[in-house]
Amino acid sequence: MVSHSTGAQAPQFDFVDTNGVSGRLSDYAGKKHVVLVLMRGLW
Amino acid sequence: MRQDYAKFVDRNAEIIAISPDSAEKLRDHWNKQQIPYPGIPDPDKQILDELGQEFKLLKFGRMPGVIIVDSQGAIRHSHYGNNAGDIPETDMLLALIDKLES
Repeated sequence: MVSHSTGAQAPQFDFVDTNGVSGRLSDYAGKKHVVLVLMRGLW
Repeated sequence: MRQDYAKFVDRNAEIIAISPDSAEKLRDHWNKQQIPYPGIPDPDKQILDELGQEFKLLKFGRMPGVIIVDSQGAIRHSHYGNNAGDIPETDMLLALIDKLES
C-alpha cells in the first residue's frame, strides 16, 4: 500500500464505459472520490 | 464489491473499473453480473498503461491495482490487490475513503 500525502493530481483520461457513455476522470473533481480499479482481465 | 456499492455511494465515492477486455466482453460481464458502477474497456491498454506507469503499480497480468482519487482530483492511495480476484478488500477501501471524508 502506498499512501500519497503530496496529493499529486491524477492523470486525466477520457473513457467510454460499457453503456457507451463517455466521460473523463476530471468530471468527478469537486464532486466525488473515485476508486479506480485496474482489473487484470476476465477469464 | 457489488453488494457493498451502496456503502461507497454513502461516502460520496464512485467506483470505476478499467479492464483490458474488449467492450463486448466487458459489457456482457457487466450485464450478467449486474454491476452497478461504470466499467471501462481498455483493450489497447492506453489508460491502464498510463496509470500503471504513473504509479509503477502493475506487474501487469498478475494482481489488480487500486488508485484512490479524492474529490479534489488528487491521488491519495495506490496499491496492488492482495489476491488474484477482481477487486481488493472492500472494507479496506471503505476505511480509506472514510479518512478522506473526515
